Amino acid sequence: MAPLLEISDLHTEIRLRQGVVHAVDGVSLQVEHGETLGIVGESGCGKTMTALSIMNLLPTGGHITGGSITLAGTEISGLSDDALRNVRGNEIGMVFQDPLTSLNPTMTVGKQISEAVLLHREVSKEQAMDRAAEVLDLVGLPRVRERINEYPHQFSGGMRQRVMIAMALACEPKLLIADEPTTALDVTIQKQILELIDDLRRRLGMAVILVTHDLGVIAGRADRVAVMYAGKIAETTDTGTLFANPRHPYTEALFHALPDKAAATRQRLYSIPGLPPDLTHPPTGCRFAARCRYATDRCREEEPTLRGETVQHEFACFYPVGAAERAGAAVAASEPVTYASALPPDTSGETLLRVQKLVKDFPVTKGVVLQRRVGWVSAVADVSFEIRRGETFGLVGESGCGKTTIGRLVVGLDTPTAGAINFEGKDLAKVSGRQYRRDRRKIQFMFQDSYSSLDPRMRAGTILREPLAVQGMGSKAEQQKRISEMLDHVGLPQTAVDRYPHEFSGGQRQRLGFARALMLSPDLIVADEPVSALDVSIQAQVLNLMRDLQRELGLTYLFISHDLAVVRYLSTRIGVMYLGKLVEVGPADEVYLTPAHPYTRGLIDSAPTPDPHAERAKVDAGVRGELPSAIHPPSGCRFRTRCPLAQEICAEVEPPLRPFSVNSHQAACHFPLQTPIEVEIAATATAQSQEA
Amino acid sequence: MTIMGPGAESQLSQFGVLTEAPPAEGEGGVLTATKPRSALRRGWEVFAENRLALVGVGVVVFMVLFCFVGPLIYRTNQINTNLQLATCRPGGAHLLGCDEVGYDQLGRLMVGGQTSLEVGIAAALVAVLFGTLYGAVSGFAGGFIDSFLMRIVDAGLSIPYIMVVIILSVIFHPSPIIMIFLIAAFYWLGVARLVRGETLTLRTREYVQAVKVIGGRDIRAVVRHVVPNAIGTIVVQATFAVADSILILAGLGFLGVGVQPPATDWGSMLSNGLTYMQGGNYWWLIYPPGILIIVTCIAINFIGDALRDAFETRLQRR
Amino acid sequence: MIGYLIRRILQMLIVLFFVTVFTLFLVHLFPGGPIRALLGPRATVEQVAYFNKLYGFDQPFYVQYGKWVWQLLHGNLGYSPKLNQTVTGLIAQDLPKTIVLVGLGTLVSLVFGIPLGMYQAVKRYTVSDYVLTGISFLGYATPTFFFALLLVEWFAVDSHIFPPFAPQGSSVGQVLSQPRALVLPVIAYAFLLYALWSRYMRSSVMDNLVQDYVRTARAKGASERRVLWGHIFRNSLTAIVTLLGLSLPTLVAGAIFIEVVFNYPGMGLAFYNAALNVDYQTLLGFTVLATLATIVGNLLADVSYAVLDPRVRYT
Repeated sequence: MAPLLEISDLHTEIRLRQGVVHAVDGVSLQVEHGETLGIVGESGCGKTMTALSIMNLLPTGGHITGGSITLAGTEISGLSDDALRNVRGNEIGMVFQDPLTSLNPTMTVGKQISEAVLLHREVSKEQAMDRAAEVLDLVGLPRVRERINEYPHQFSGGMRQRVMIAMALACEPKLLIADEPTTALDVTIQKQILELIDDLRRRLGMAVILVTHDLGVIAGRADRVAVMYAGKIAETTDTGTLFANPRHPYTEALFHALPDKAAATRQRLYSIPGLPPDLTHPPTGCRFAARCRYATDRCREEEPTLRGETVQHEFACFYPVGAAERAGAAVAASEPVTYASALPPDTSGETLLRVQKLVKDFPVTKGVVLQRRVGWVSAVADVSFEIRRGETFGLVGESGCGKTTIGRLVVGLDTPTAGAINFEGKDLAKVSGRQYRRDRRKIQFMFQDSYSSLDPRMRAGTILREPLAVQGMGSKAEQQKRISEMLDHVGLPQTAVDRYPHEFSGGQRQRLGFARALMLSPDLIVADEPVSALDVSIQAQVLNLMRDLQRELGLTYLFISHDLAVVRYLSTRIGVMYLGKLVEVGPADEVYLTPAHPYTRGLIDSAPTPDPHAERAKVDAGVRGELPSAIHPPSGCRFRTRCPLAQEICAEVEPPLRPFSVNSHQAACHFPLQTPIEVEIAATATAQSQEA
Repeated sequence: MTIMGPGAESQLSQFGVLTEAPPAEGEGGVLTATKPRSALRRGWEVFAENRLALVGVGVVVFMVLFCFVGPLIYRTNQINTNLQLATCRPGGAHLLGCDEVGYDQLGRLMVGGQTSLEVGIAAALVAVLFGTLYGAVSGFAGGFIDSFLMRIVDAGLSIPYIMVVIILSVIFHPSPIIMIFLIAAFYWLGVARLVRGETLTLRTREYVQAVKVIGGRDIRAVVRHVVPNAIGTIVVQATFAVADSILILAGLGFLGVGVQPPATDWGSMLSNGLTYMQGGNYWWLIYPPGILIIVTCIAINFIGDALRDAFETRLQRR
Repeated sequence: MIGYLIRRILQMLIVLFFVTVFTLFLVHLFPGGPIRALLGPRATVEQVAYFNKLYGFDQPFYVQYGKWVWQLLHGNLGYSPKLNQTVTGLIAQDLPKTIVLVGLGTLVSLVFGIPLGMYQAVKRYTVSDYVLTGISFLGYATPTFFFALLLVEWFAVDSHIFPPFAPQGSSVGQVLSQPRALVLPVIAYAFLLYALWSRYMRSSVMDNLVQDYVRTARAKGASERRVLWGHIFRNSLTAIVTLLGLSLPTLVAGAIFIEVVFNYPGMGLAFYNAALNVDYQTLLGFTVLATLATIVGNLLADVSYAVLDPRVRYT
């Protein structure tokens, strides 16, 4: 059967003030009826441009300059706008990344969906609205009749994405294009949405193009995959084969850069050197050659075409994985260096930071002049944990769980409503004034958004000098020396001192932020999502850097992230947070492999891993439902509204943290997934007494 | 086939399109050897690209020269009236004719221009300086102080300024100096509100918060981080303020409550011209001052728009 | 929503307080006091003292203020000796005529400004965009009175198409019965406002055209026209409505200048004459009224914004 969609040698350009970007440079793809094709790649690879080219939704200045796109045999790439409108929303539906900005904020949800229907079907307004309700029900929106007249901002992120999907499916298209549909969503919601798309695909007999940067998502959802790099396809095959037997060096390198694979062994991640090429002047030869471990002169001069031994598996490389004539060193995927975090945590170490019964409530105010408090957001509710010197404590959780707030409290950007923060034995709240500012030296912060955390009007050198200037440390010469030292530590060149933040790439800015945090020789660094905004290959660089410096400078980290794989890779111990509560804490491997709390289990199950078999096996797992309001959190255990094991007692009594092993693995649950220690001890004692 | 306009690069970044190749980076990073371009320089580049802005600057320079250097070249008697020459036609010794009391019109335009420009620029400066200070303090202090200070601004903005300025002009029979303060006295309110808004926004920026983390005090955050980043908006405001002040002064002059003779400004000259509209064609009394006002204000608007673009592009680059 | 309204009204009252204090203070700035200003330099000291006592100007400020506010609340805005009429009467006579001028002028400016601004955004960077932008710039930079003068010069004095003066008469009916005389004043009034609206619409529509939700609309199959009128128009309009509410000071200023140039018998001209005659009661009364109108305008702007933008309405 002929493919549903066929893209042949597509070329798309974007005309900019400074030149023409060749965003898509000769891409050929097919999508069969009813299958999911995944297009995966890092930022700038052209995957989104390819998706937008299909229906010619390119941004201003963007044009298809060559190639053909056929849908069920009909050529659609050269169509006029009028003709193309018949295809958009009708034969092909599209879902975008950010559902908040992608929906018209001043139009009700029902009206937006019925608009899609009215554009393509000869029906009355009432009938269109009925169809809207029907399709909203299909995507799992609760209480459709009530909510159909609400506005987008009144829905949560996951619900909004469901609305977008409903809108795209209203006219039962044959193909759904989903461009990073879950990137802006929490992991547990992400799983729900991806499952929904899969489910709808089966029910409606649709094909799906899933564009994403996340290899785990691809592993779990795509039937076939195309890996893109610098505007071209590097490799394409079915999912199982791609993960089991990647042929293109780029694909191989990507897998080696993922923390998921290295998590168990804690080995060094492979970080791909360099950056993707500038697409206003694409290089001759293979585009990956500049960064490839095996590149030869032939690679740099001649461009490899997409071919393979079988039609099912094609790649564009002269020296693919497994080829006999490979030059260069054998793949040194990992160094057998065992980092401290691979060892069981040393419980005899000195406690560096102790957080006790920390509480932070934020007032919710309304009103313009006299700000009345209408409620409190319980961001952090009675959280206690310890961090020992030299370890990495990973704090993980989804949005609204309070992890960022805790980071800010520890570092002094906010003051706690109640509770104590003890650093090196001293209660930080009791210190003030100059002594406080001096103590601040020892705890420093790495911000998530490197761009907005660096003053755009200051040069890098000035930014780095500022901590020293504020603390009055060292003479000018000594400060200079320290700045040079720091730049070396983080791997930035000395010329960086004269540059402005916008002149650095994302990864370099993160290093700069890291260097700034290190300037005062802190003992503890709180890192708030430091790698979340980075591509996989850059992420690997920064993670490696963090580990190297931890070893070299004896640092302790409080590592905050929503990405479980990264947290597991980097941390000695993990704390899992949900809606302001610490629900589980313990050694990283123990928590990950034998979670005691249902939420931890759900989180682990929801997080996509780059292993197709494991992903398929996770079909029914995950966390259902939506995040409750933090202003009125559920009574008793806050997770009970979404917990499959919840019973009456969960609503009445808040479960305390109970130990589950001798390694201080604790969880707060009435019906945990592991056996708590005292139960074990009791059971053993009973068994022993019975024997006796 | 449309070419993207300024500020559009930020839209592209959403699609992950690298719009400018960042410096190449190794495991460590070797930055390409381009000269570091400061924010000021990049802003200047965008500004200079805008041809209208360059025209604007040229016009403004010309006006300044015309008004201040002109009288040195084209000498006329602007002190003694000469009723015999009243409303004489252009030509001969008087290139643009004479006004209703016998002053040489061209020379009068220069003198009037001096007043218009001086008052315009000075009023704008005073208003912007005071307004910035007020707005910044209010924005920083936050809470009750902010509310209170802004209430005053709201109250001030509720009074139709033209009415109050007319009343005050009637009371004080202003000289140019008084006019400066009169105009500034109302213009600062708008500036204060804008600067306060800007301050509030900047306060939440992470790089301002970062100062606290390294142990710095609030005052440092204000002086070293907020003010330099707010300057863009303030400069743009100041530019438009000059044009607005010239127009306000002209309006007051027209109503007869502006500067009083022998001082004059372009607006007053227009007012005098009005009386000669009905009987006969006295175009040199009407068009020249009006056109000078229009041209100057348009030029300033060009500059202001270009400045705004220049600052915005800088901020939007990612 | 009700709570919001109540809070805004409370704010209004606070602002009104500041304003009335300030206005009364203004009066005292007249050299020699308001009575001296009214009676002129030739009045004797006894006469001045007499009237001071009569009008209560010898009392402490807060007493004067209290009395004055009391008067205001009873609708007594004072009396104009020069015109031999109560200020309230003066307002009743002249305000309707000014409203006709302002209303028509604003309407014309909106009718042209909004569609042309949208057109400019759609045809951005083309010749027509530049031409229209040029016209807008002229609108900003041309003093209202000068533009009015030019119109009179070209269309009235030279070519006699329209009469050089505005319709005369003491009632709205008389004014409206001379429509040809209204044309020039209305156009002159509308020019600056037109520039404001069209410039705003242009930039607002341009901003909206690159928003994500517009891309979604296109992805649904909506035509450019539908995108523009069904989606963008509504979103841009919200801010124009708010702008309207906030532009009262500009509306008032325009009214004064146009009425003076065209000799239009409205409040603007009356205010101007009162200033020249130092008729302080009229000046004060008019100022308070205009301020009240501005405050109410701000309130309406806020309320309309809350009504039109569902994000504000439902949070």
